[in-house]
Amino acid sequence: MVKNIICVLLVLALFFVACNELEYSPNQAFDNDTPRDLNNKNIKRLLETEGDDTIRFVLSGDSQREYSNSKALVSAVNKMKGIDFLFLAGDISDFGLVQEMEWIDDIFSRLQVPYIGVIGNHDMVANGERAYRRMFGDFNFSFIYKGVKFVCHNTNSREKAFDGTIPNLPWLKEQMSYEEGVNAYVTVAHVPPGNEDFDNSVKDEYIDVLNSSPNTLAALYAHTHREDLFYPGAGKIPYIVTDAIEHRQFVLVEISNGKLTFETIRY
Amino acid sequence: MENLPLKRSGIKIWVIVALFLTSPAKLSAQFFDALVPGEVVVQHAGSIGFFSVGAGYRVFKNKRGNVDMNYGFVPASKGGPLHILSAKFAYRPFEIRIKDWATIYPANPGAFVSYHFGKEFDFYWDKSQYEKGYYWWSSAIRPHLSLSNEVKLHGKKIVRGEKIKSITLYSEFNTNELYLVSFFQNHGDLSMRDVFKLGIGVRVGF
Repeated sequence: MVKNIICVLLVLALFFVACNELEYSPNQAFDNDTPRDLNNKNIKRLLETEGDDTIRFVLSGDSQREYSNSKALVSAVNKMKGIDFLFLAGDISDFGLVQEMEWIDDIFSRLQVPYIGVIGNHDMVANGERAYRRMFGDFNFSFIYKGVKFVCHNTNSREKAFDGTIPNLPWLKEQMSYEEGVNAYVTVAHVPPGNEDFDNSVKDEYIDVLNSSPNTLAALYAHTHREDLFYPGAGKIPYIVTDAIEHRQFVLVEISNGKLTFETIRY
Repeated sequence: MENLPLKRSGIKIWVIVALFLTSPAKLSAQFFDALVPGEVVVQHAGSIGFFSVGAGYRVFKNKRGNVDMNYGFVPASKGGPLHILSAKFAYRPFEIRIKDWATIYPANPGAFVSYHFGKEFDFYWDKSQYEKGYYWWSSAIRPHLSLSNEVKLHGKKIVRGEKIKSITLYSEFNTNELYLVSFFQNHGDLSMRDVFKLGIGVRVGF
Protein backbone atom coordinates (compact mmCIF):
# COMPACT_ATOMS: atom_id res chain seq x y z
CA MET A 1 0.00 0.00 0.00
CA VAL A 2 2.70 2.47 1.07
CA LYS A 3 4.78 1.41 -1.89
CA ASN A 4 1.88 2.14 -4.18
CA ILE A 5 1.27 5.58 -2.74
CA ILE A 6 4.95 6.42 -3.16
CA CYS A 7 4.72 5.23 -6.73
CA VAL A 8 1.74 7.50 -7.38
CA LEU A 9 3.43 10.49 -5.78
CA LEU A 10 6.57 9.89 -7.82
CA VAL A 11 4.63 9.94 -11.07
CA LEU A 12 2.96 13.20 -10.07
CA ALA A 13 6.23 14.74 -8.92
CA LEU A 14 7.85 13.90 -12.24
CA PHE A 15 5.22 15.91 -14.08
CA PHE A 16 5.55 18.88 -11.76
CA VAL A 17 9.31 18.99 -12.18
CA ALA A 18 9.02 18.73 -15.96
CA CYS A 19 7.10 21.97 -16.13
CA ASN A 20 6.69 24.53 -13.40
CA GLU A 21 4.72 27.17 -15.25
CA LEU A 22 1.12 27.37 -14.13
CA GLU A 23 -0.62 29.44 -16.79
CA TYR A 24 -4.04 30.92 -16.15
CA SER A 25 -4.57 31.99 -19.75
CA PRO A 26 -2.34 32.84 -22.72
CA ASN A 27 -4.16 36.18 -22.58
CA GLN A 28 -3.39 36.95 -18.96
CA ALA A 29 -1.86 40.42 -18.70
CA PHE A 30 0.92 39.17 -16.42
CA ASP A 31 2.06 36.21 -14.37
CA ASN A 32 3.96 35.88 -11.10
CA ASP A 33 7.36 36.71 -12.52
CA THR A 34 6.53 39.15 -15.33
CA PRO A 35 8.95 42.08 -15.17
CA ARG A 36 7.44 45.53 -14.69
CA ASP A 37 8.09 49.02 -15.98
CA LEU A 38 11.08 47.95 -18.09
CA ASN A 39 11.37 51.17 -20.10
CA ASN A 40 11.62 53.43 -17.07
CA LYS A 41 14.13 51.09 -15.44
CA ASN A 42 16.23 50.91 -18.60
CA ILE A 43 16.11 54.68 -19.17
CA LYS A 44 17.22 55.19 -15.57
CA ARG A 45 20.09 52.77 -16.19
CA LEU A 46 21.02 54.61 -19.40
CA LEU A 47 21.11 58.00 -17.69
CA GLU A 48 23.31 56.61 -14.91
CA THR A 49 26.00 55.29 -17.23
CA GLU A 50 28.83 57.58 -18.15
CA GLY A 51 29.76 57.75 -21.79
CA ASP A 52 31.62 59.83 -24.31
CA ASP A 53 30.25 62.84 -26.20
CA THR A 54 28.91 60.66 -28.99
CA ILE A 55 25.49 59.07 -28.78
CA ARG A 56 25.44 55.73 -30.55
CA PHE A 57 22.37 53.51 -30.58
CA VAL A 58 20.70 50.68 -32.47
CA LEU A 59 17.34 51.00 -34.20
CA SER A 60 15.77 47.55 -34.49
CA GLY A 61 12.22 46.31 -34.64
CA ASP A 62 9.78 43.48 -35.24
CA SER A 63 11.18 40.85 -32.90
CA GLN A 64 7.80 39.13 -33.24
CA ARG A 65 8.22 35.33 -33.17
CA GLU A 66 11.96 35.77 -34.01
CA TYR A 67 13.74 34.33 -30.98
CA SER A 68 16.68 32.79 -32.82
CA ASN A 69 17.31 35.94 -34.86
CA SER A 70 16.83 38.11 -31.77
CA LYS A 71 19.57 36.13 -30.02
CA ALA A 72 21.83 36.74 -33.00
CA LEU A 73 21.05 40.46 -32.83
CA VAL A 74 21.91 40.61 -29.13
CA SER A 75 25.24 38.87 -29.61
CA ALA A 76 26.05 41.07 -32.61
CA VAL A 77 25.33 44.26 -30.65
CA ASN A 78 27.24 42.97 -27.62
CA LYS A 79 30.33 42.64 -29.82
CA MET A 80 30.14 46.27 -30.96
CA LYS A 81 31.90 48.99 -29.05
CA GLY A 82 30.53 52.33 -27.91
CA ILE A 83 26.84 51.46 -28.14
CA ASP A 84 24.73 53.35 -25.59
CA PHE A 85 21.34 51.65 -25.99
CA LEU A 86 18.97 49.88 -28.34
CA PHE A 87 15.49 50.75 -29.55
CA LEU A 88 13.11 47.84 -30.14
CA ALA A 89 10.65 49.80 -32.24
CA GLY A 90 7.49 47.76 -32.00
CA ASP A 91 5.99 44.38 -32.74
CA ILE A 92 7.90 43.02 -29.80
CA SER A 93 5.29 40.25 -29.77
CA ASP A 94 3.43 38.67 -32.67
CA PHE A 95 0.14 37.76 -30.95
CA GLY A 96 0.00 40.36 -28.16
CA LEU A 97 0.75 37.67 -25.55
CA VAL A 98 2.64 38.42 -22.37
CA GLN A 99 4.53 35.13 -22.76
CA GLU A 100 6.02 36.36 -26.02
CA MET A 101 7.05 39.66 -24.43
CA GLU A 102 8.74 37.70 -21.64
CA TRP A 103 10.59 35.47 -24.09
CA ILE A 104 11.83 38.58 -25.90
CA ASP A 105 12.86 40.25 -22.64
CA ASP A 106 14.77 37.12 -21.64
CA ILE A 107 16.86 37.62 -24.78
CA PHE A 108 17.18 41.42 -24.83
CA SER A 109 17.97 41.65 -21.14
CA ARG A 110 21.22 39.88 -22.06
CA LEU A 111 22.31 43.01 -23.91
CA GLN A 112 25.17 44.80 -22.22
CA VAL A 113 23.32 48.06 -22.84
CA PRO A 114 19.74 49.00 -21.92
CA TYR A 115 16.99 48.48 -24.47
CA ILE A 116 13.89 50.58 -24.86
CA GLY A 117 10.63 49.24 -26.27
CA VAL A 118 8.16 51.16 -28.41
CA ILE A 119 4.67 49.74 -29.00
CA GLY A 120 3.79 48.10 -32.33
CA ASN A 121 0.46 47.09 -33.82
CA HIS A 122 0.93 43.41 -32.94
CA ASP A 123 1.53 44.37 -29.31
CA MET A 124 -1.98 45.85 -29.22
CA VAL A 125 -4.02 42.79 -30.24
CA ALA A 126 -5.88 40.60 -27.74
CA ASN A 127 -4.86 41.65 -24.20
CA GLY A 128 -1.56 43.00 -25.51
CA GLU A 129 -2.13 46.61 -24.54
CA ARG A 130 -2.52 45.71 -20.88
CA ALA A 131 0.42 43.29 -20.97
CA TYR A 132 2.64 45.84 -22.73
CA ARG A 133 1.68 48.74 -20.46
CA ARG A 134 2.47 46.82 -17.30
CA MET A 135 5.67 45.27 -18.61
CA PHE A 136 7.15 48.12 -20.69
CA GLY A 137 5.19 51.24 -19.73
CA ASP A 138 3.46 54.11 -21.48
CA PHE A 139 2.75 54.09 -25.22
CA ASN A 140 3.87 57.71 -25.52
CA PHE A 141 6.92 58.77 -23.54
CA SER A 142 10.13 60.74 -23.87
CA PHE A 143 13.54 61.03 -22.28
CA ILE A 144 16.52 63.32 -22.63
CA TYR A 145 19.95 61.78 -23.07
CA LYS A 146 23.01 64.00 -23.50
CA GLY A 147 20.89 66.92 -24.64
CA VAL A 148 18.89 64.93 -27.20
CA LYS A 149 15.21 64.38 -26.53
CA PHE A 150 13.91 61.02 -27.72
CA VAL A 151 10.16 61.17 -28.30
CA CYS A 152 8.72 57.64 -28.48
CA HIS A 153 5.12 57.38 -29.54
CA ASN A 154 2.30 55.14 -30.75
CA THR A 155 1.52 55.32 -34.49
CA ASN A 156 -0.51 52.09 -34.74
CA SER A 157 -3.64 53.89 -35.95
CA ARG A 158 -5.32 50.84 -37.49
CA GLU A 159 -5.55 49.10 -34.10
CA LYS A 160 -7.94 51.84 -32.98
CA ALA A 161 -9.73 51.81 -36.36
CA PHE A 162 -8.31 55.21 -37.36
CA ASP A 163 -10.41 56.95 -34.70
CA GLY A 164 -8.19 60.04 -34.73
CA THR A 165 -6.52 59.38 -31.36
CA ILE A 166 -3.36 57.75 -32.81
CA PRO A 167 -0.89 59.37 -33.25
CA ASN A 168 -1.61 61.69 -30.34
CA LEU A 169 -0.87 65.02 -32.06
CA PRO A 170 -1.51 67.36 -29.11
CA TRP A 171 0.92 65.32 -26.99
CA LEU A 172 3.49 65.27 -29.80
CA LYS A 173 3.19 69.05 -30.32
CA GLU A 174 3.92 69.62 -26.68
CA GLN A 175 6.86 67.20 -26.72
CA MET A 176 8.40 68.74 -29.83
CA SER A 177 8.22 72.31 -28.60
CA TYR A 178 11.20 74.18 -27.20
CA GLU A 179 12.58 72.88 -23.94
CA GLU A 180 15.51 74.18 -21.99
CA GLY A 181 18.52 71.89 -22.00
CA VAL A 182 17.42 70.13 -25.18
CA ASN A 183 19.60 70.65 -28.24
CA ALA A 184 18.00 68.19 -30.60
CA TYR A 185 14.97 65.94 -31.06
CA VAL A 186 14.70 62.38 -32.37
CA THR A 187 11.34 60.61 -32.67
CA VAL A 188 10.76 56.85 -32.56
CA ALA A 189 7.59 54.95 -33.50
CA HIS A 190 6.52 51.71 -35.14
CA VAL A 191 4.37 52.49 -38.22
CA PRO A 192 5.88 55.12 -40.55
CA PRO A 193 3.64 57.86 -41.98
CA GLY A 194 2.35 57.01 -45.44
CA ASN A 195 2.05 53.32 -44.56
CA GLU A 196 -1.46 51.87 -44.91
CA ASP A 197 -1.60 51.23 -41.15
CA PHE A 198 -0.90 54.89 -40.36
CA ASP A 199 -3.78 57.35 -40.10
CA ASN A 200 -2.90 59.21 -43.28
CA SER A 201 -5.73 61.69 -42.80
CA VAL A 202 -3.37 63.38 -40.32
CA LYS A 203 -0.15 62.49 -42.12
CA ASP A 204 0.72 66.04 -43.24
CA GLU A 205 -0.05 67.52 -39.85
CA TYR A 206 1.97 64.75 -38.17
CA ILE A 207 5.02 65.34 -40.35
CA ASP A 208 4.67 69.06 -39.76
CA VAL A 209 4.67 68.53 -35.98
CA LEU A 210 7.78 66.33 -36.11
CA ASN A 211 9.67 68.61 -38.48
CA SER A 212 8.84 71.85 -36.72
CA SER A 213 10.67 71.28 -33.45
CA PRO A 214 13.59 73.65 -32.83
CA ASN A 215 15.97 70.97 -34.16
CA THR A 216 14.65 67.59 -35.33
CA LEU A 217 17.47 65.25 -36.34
CA ALA A 218 15.51 62.22 -37.52
CA ALA A 219 12.29 60.22 -37.24
CA LEU A 220 12.78 56.47 -36.74
CA TYR A 221 10.44 53.57 -37.59
CA ALA A 222 10.16 49.81 -38.20
CA HIS A 223 7.04 47.81 -39.21
CA THR A 224 7.52 47.42 -42.98
CA HIS A 225 10.22 44.70 -42.78
CA ARG A 226 12.09 46.65 -45.42
CA GLU A 227 14.65 49.37 -44.98
CA ASP A 228 13.52 52.73 -46.23
CA LEU A 229 14.55 56.37 -46.16
CA PHE A 230 12.55 59.43 -47.11
CA TYR A 231 12.53 63.16 -46.47
CA PRO A 232 8.87 64.20 -46.24
CA GLY A 233 7.61 67.77 -46.09
CA ALA A 234 9.86 70.57 -47.14
CA GLY A 235 12.67 69.56 -44.83
CA LYS A 236 15.94 67.70 -44.97
CA ILE A 237 15.00 65.59 -42.00
CA PRO A 238 15.52 61.86 -42.62
CA TYR A 239 12.69 59.42 -41.86
CA ILE A 240 14.54 56.16 -41.37
CA VAL A 241 12.82 52.76 -41.43
CA THR A 242 14.78 49.75 -40.21
CA ASP A 243 14.44 46.29 -41.69
CA ALA A 244 13.05 43.59 -39.40
CA ILE A 245 14.98 41.31 -37.08
CA GLU A 246 13.89 38.36 -39.26
CA HIS A 247 16.17 39.74 -41.99
CA ARG A 248 19.09 40.13 -39.57
CA GLN A 249 19.51 43.79 -40.15
CA PHE A 250 19.38 46.95 -38.07
CA VAL A 251 20.28 50.61 -38.33
CA LEU A 252 23.16 52.01 -36.31
CA VAL A 253 22.60 55.69 -35.51
CA GLU A 254 25.28 58.07 -34.31
CA ILE A 255 24.85 61.61 -33.05
CA SER A 256 28.08 63.51 -32.78
CA ASN A 257 28.65 67.28 -32.63
CA GLY A 258 24.95 67.85 -33.28
CA LYS A 259 24.97 65.81 -36.48
CA LEU A 260 23.17 62.54 -37.03
CA THR A 261 24.59 59.80 -39.26
CA PHE A 262 23.34 56.27 -39.78
CA GLU A 263 24.25 53.03 -41.47
CA THR A 264 22.67 49.64 -42.04
CA ILE A 265 24.32 46.75 -40.23
CA ARG A 266 23.84 43.12 -41.25
CA TYR A 267 24.73 40.29 -38.94
CA MET B 1 -29.08 29.75 -58.03
CA GLU B 2 -28.72 32.23 -55.19
CA ASN B 3 -31.56 30.62 -53.27
CA LEU B 4 -30.14 27.14 -53.33
CA PRO B 5 -28.05 27.15 -50.12
CA LEU B 6 -31.01 28.63 -48.25
CA LYS B 7 -33.30 25.91 -49.59
CA ARG B 8 -30.90 23.19 -48.55
CA SER B 9 -30.54 24.42 -45.00
CA GLY B 10 -34.33 24.72 -44.87
CA ILE B 11 -34.66 21.05 -45.74
CA LYS B 12 -32.09 20.09 -43.10
CA ILE B 13 -34.01 21.87 -40.36
CA TRP B 14 -37.23 20.04 -41.34
CA VAL B 15 -35.49 16.68 -41.23
CA ILE B 16 -34.27 17.39 -37.69
CA VAL B 17 -37.69 18.59 -36.56
CA ALA B 18 -39.31 15.51 -38.11
CA LEU B 19 -36.88 13.25 -36.27
CA PHE B 20 -37.73 14.84 -32.94
CA LEU B 21 -41.47 14.59 -33.56
CA THR B 22 -41.47 10.98 -34.67
CA SER B 23 -38.86 9.50 -32.34
CA PRO B 24 -40.18 7.58 -29.34
CA ALA B 25 -40.20 9.28 -25.99
CA LYS B 26 -37.67 6.79 -24.67
CA LEU B 27 -35.07 7.94 -27.15
CA SER B 28 -35.32 11.59 -26.11
CA ALA B 29 -35.19 10.57 -22.44
CA GLN B 30 -31.94 8.77 -23.19
CA PHE B 31 -30.74 11.85 -24.96
CA PHE B 32 -31.37 14.00 -21.89
CA ASP B 33 -29.86 11.38 -19.60
CA ALA B 34 -26.70 11.61 -21.62
CA LEU B 35 -26.55 15.35 -20.89
CA VAL B 36 -26.21 14.71 -17.15
CA PRO B 37 -22.49 14.68 -16.48
CA GLY B 38 -20.81 11.81 -14.69
CA GLU B 39 -18.25 14.08 -13.08
CA VAL B 40 -17.81 17.54 -11.64
CA VAL B 41 -14.44 19.07 -12.48
CA VAL B 42 -12.49 21.80 -10.72
CA GLN B 43 -9.21 22.90 -12.28
CA HIS B 44 -6.52 25.38 -11.27
CA ALA B 45 -4.53 27.05 -14.11
CA GLY B 46 -3.92 25.02 -17.26
CA SER B 47 -4.61 28.05 -19.54
CA ILE B 48 -8.39 28.01 -19.04
CA GLY B 49 -8.69 30.19 -15.93
CA PHE B 50 -7.14 30.78 -12.52
CA PHE B 51 -9.90 28.41 -11.52
CA SER B 52 -12.37 26.70 -13.77
CA VAL B 53 -15.33 24.48 -13.01
CA GLY B 54 -17.08 22.16 -15.34
CA ALA B 55 -18.93 19.02 -16.17
CA GLY B 56 -17.15 15.87 -17.26
CA TYR B 57 -18.55 13.15 -19.49
CA ARG B 58 -17.09 9.69 -20.05
CA VAL B 59 -17.39 8.80 -23.70
CA PHE B 60 -16.91 5.69 -25.86
CA LYS B 61 -17.97 2.18 -24.93
CA ASN B 62 -14.81 1.52 -22.96
CA LYS B 63 -15.25 4.81 -21.02
CA ARG B 64 -11.67 5.74 -21.84
CA GLY B 65 -12.64 8.96 -23.56
CA ASN B 66 -13.43 12.11 -21.67
CA VAL B 67 -15.18 15.35 -22.58
CA ASP B 68 -15.14 18.31 -20.18
CA MET B 69 -17.01 21.58 -20.56
CA ASN B 70 -15.49 24.24 -18.32
CA TYR B 71 -16.04 27.85 -17.42
CA GLY B 72 -12.94 29.61 -16.13
CA PHE B 73 -12.17 32.95 -14.59
CA VAL B 74 -8.95 34.90 -14.11
CA PRO B 75 -9.29 37.67 -11.48
CA ALA B 76 -7.71 41.09 -12.02
CA SER B 77 -5.08 40.30 -9.38
CA LYS B 78 -3.89 37.34 -11.51
CA GLY B 79 -3.74 39.09 -14.87
CA GLY B 80 -7.45 39.27 -15.66
CA PRO B 81 -10.33 39.82 -15.52
CA LEU B 82 -10.83 37.11 -18.12
CA HIS B 83 -13.80 34.83 -18.73
CA ILE B 84 -13.07 31.63 -20.60
CA LEU B 85 -15.16 28.76 -21.90
CA SER B 86 -13.41 25.56 -22.85
CA ALA B 87 -14.38 22.25 -24.39
CA LYS B 88 -11.86 19.52 -23.70
CA PHE B 89 -11.33 16.04 -24.97
CA ALA B 90 -8.85 13.44 -23.74
CA TYR B 91 -8.30 9.73 -24.21
CA ARG B 92 -6.78 7.26 -21.77
CA PRO B 93 -4.76 4.69 -23.69
CA PHE B 94 -2.97 3.30 -20.63
CA GLU B 95 -4.17 2.33 -17.20
CA ILE B 96 -2.40 0.91 -14.20
CA ARG B 97 -4.61 -0.61 -11.56
CA ILE B 98 -3.47 -0.55 -7.98
CA LYS B 99 -5.46 -3.32 -6.34
CA ASP B 100 -9.03 -2.19 -5.91
CA TRP B 101 -8.48 1.26 -4.51
CA ALA B 102 -6.90 3.27 -7.32
CA THR B 103 -6.21 3.45 -11.03
CA ILE B 104 -3.41 5.48 -12.59
CA TYR B 105 -3.76 6.86 -16.10
CA PRO B 106 -0.16 7.88 -16.74
CA ALA B 107 -0.43 9.67 -20.08
CA ASN B 108 -3.65 10.87 -21.65
CA PRO B 109 -3.29 12.78 -24.89
CA GLY B 110 -6.00 15.28 -25.65
CA ALA B 111 -7.04 18.49 -27.32
CA PHE B 112 -9.20 21.38 -26.30
CA VAL B 113 -10.54 24.67 -27.51
CA SER B 114 -10.84 27.77 -25.37
CA TYR B 115 -12.89 30.87 -26.01
CA HIS B 116 -12.17 34.23 -24.38
CA PHE B 117 -15.04 36.65 -23.90
CA GLY B 118 -14.52 40.37 -24.30
CA LYS B 119 -14.32 42.97 -27.02
CA GLU B 120 -10.53 42.88 -27.12
CA PHE B 121 -10.74 39.25 -28.28
CA ASP B 122 -11.86 38.80 -31.86
CA PHE B 123 -13.63 35.76 -33.20
CA TYR B 124 -13.58 37.37 -36.61
CA TRP B 125 -11.34 40.38 -37.11
CA ASP B 126 -13.45 43.44 -37.88
CA LYS B 127 -13.74 43.65 -41.65
CA SER B 128 -14.01 47.42 -41.65
CA GLN B 129 -10.75 47.63 -39.72
CA TYR B 130 -8.62 44.90 -41.29
CA GLU B 131 -8.23 43.40 -44.72
CA LYS B 132 -8.85 39.68 -44.98
CA GLY B 133 -5.83 37.75 -43.67
CA TYR B 134 -4.21 40.78 -41.97
CA TYR B 135 -3.93 38.68 -38.82
CA TRP B 136 -4.19 34.97 -39.55
CA TRP B 137 -5.19 33.71 -36.12
CA SER B 138 -8.22 34.34 -33.92
CA SER B 139 -7.53 36.09 -30.64
CA ALA B 140 -10.71 34.71 -29.03
CA ILE B 141 -10.49 31.05 -30.07
CA ARG B 142 -7.41 29.14 -28.99
CA PRO B 143 -6.87 25.48 -29.96
CA HIS B 144 -4.69 23.55 -27.51
CA LEU B 145 -2.98 20.18 -27.35
CA SER B 146 -2.77 18.49 -23.98
CA LEU B 147 -1.24 15.62 -22.10
CA SER B 148 -2.57 14.72 -18.68
CA ASN B 149 -2.02 12.14 -16.02
CA GLU B 150 -4.54 11.02 -13.47
CA VAL B 151 -4.82 9.13 -10.25
CA LYS B 152 -8.32 7.86 -9.77
CA LEU B 153 -9.28 6.85 -6.27
CA HIS B 154 -12.25 4.56 -6.11
CA GLY B 155 -14.94 5.89 -3.83
CA LYS B 156 -15.92 2.77 -1.94
CA LYS B 157 -12.44 2.27 -0.61
CA ILE B 158 -11.47 5.86 -0.06
CA VAL B 159 -14.45 7.90 1.05
CA ARG B 160 -16.82 5.04 1.82
CA GLY B 161 -19.52 7.24 0.44
CA GLU B 162 -22.53 6.03 -1.39
CA LYS B 163 -22.92 8.92 -3.80
CA ILE B 164 -19.31 9.63 -4.69
CA LYS B 165 -18.02 6.91 -6.95
CA SER B 166 -14.53 8.26 -7.44
CA ILE B 167 -12.16 11.13 -6.82
CA THR B 168 -9.55 11.78 -9.49
CA LEU B 169 -6.53 14.04 -9.13
CA TYR B 170 -4.87 15.14 -12.32
CA SER B 171 -2.22 17.36 -13.80
CA GLU B 172 -2.44 18.52 -17.36
CA PHE B 173 0.11 20.09 -19.67
CA ASN B 174 -1.04 22.07 -22.62
CA THR B 175 0.26 24.21 -25.39
CA ASN B 176 -1.54 26.19 -28.06
CA GLU B 177 -1.04 26.75 -31.75
CA LEU B 178 0.59 30.17 -31.24
CA TYR B 179 3.20 28.79 -28.84
CA LEU B 180 3.78 25.81 -31.14
CA VAL B 181 4.35 28.01 -34.19
CA SER B 182 6.86 29.98 -32.12
CA PHE B 183 8.50 26.77 -30.95
CA PHE B 184 8.94 25.22 -34.39
CA GLN B 185 10.09 28.44 -36.02
CA ASN B 186 12.86 28.90 -33.46
CA HIS B 187 14.16 25.41 -33.25
CA GLY B 188 16.35 25.00 -30.21
CA ASP B 189 15.82 28.50 -28.87
CA LEU B 190 12.50 27.73 -27.21
CA SER B 191 12.17 24.54 -25.21
CA MET B 192 9.21 22.23 -24.62
CA ARG B 193 9.26 23.57 -21.11
CA ASP B 194 8.74 27.07 -22.49
CA VAL B 195 5.67 26.21 -24.50
CA PHE B 196 3.93 23.63 -22.28
CA LYS B 197 1.92 25.03 -19.40
CA LEU B 198 0.63 23.25 -16.34
CA GLY B 199 -2.79 22.92 -14.78
CA ILE B 200 -3.95 20.74 -11.90
CA GLY B 201 -7.42 19.56 -11.07
CA VAL B 202 -9.84 17.29 -9.32
CA ARG B 203 -12.75 15.42 -10.81
CA VAL B 204 -15.43 13.90 -8.65
CA GLY B 205 -17.46 11.08 -10.16
CA PHE B 206 -21.05 10.41 -9.18
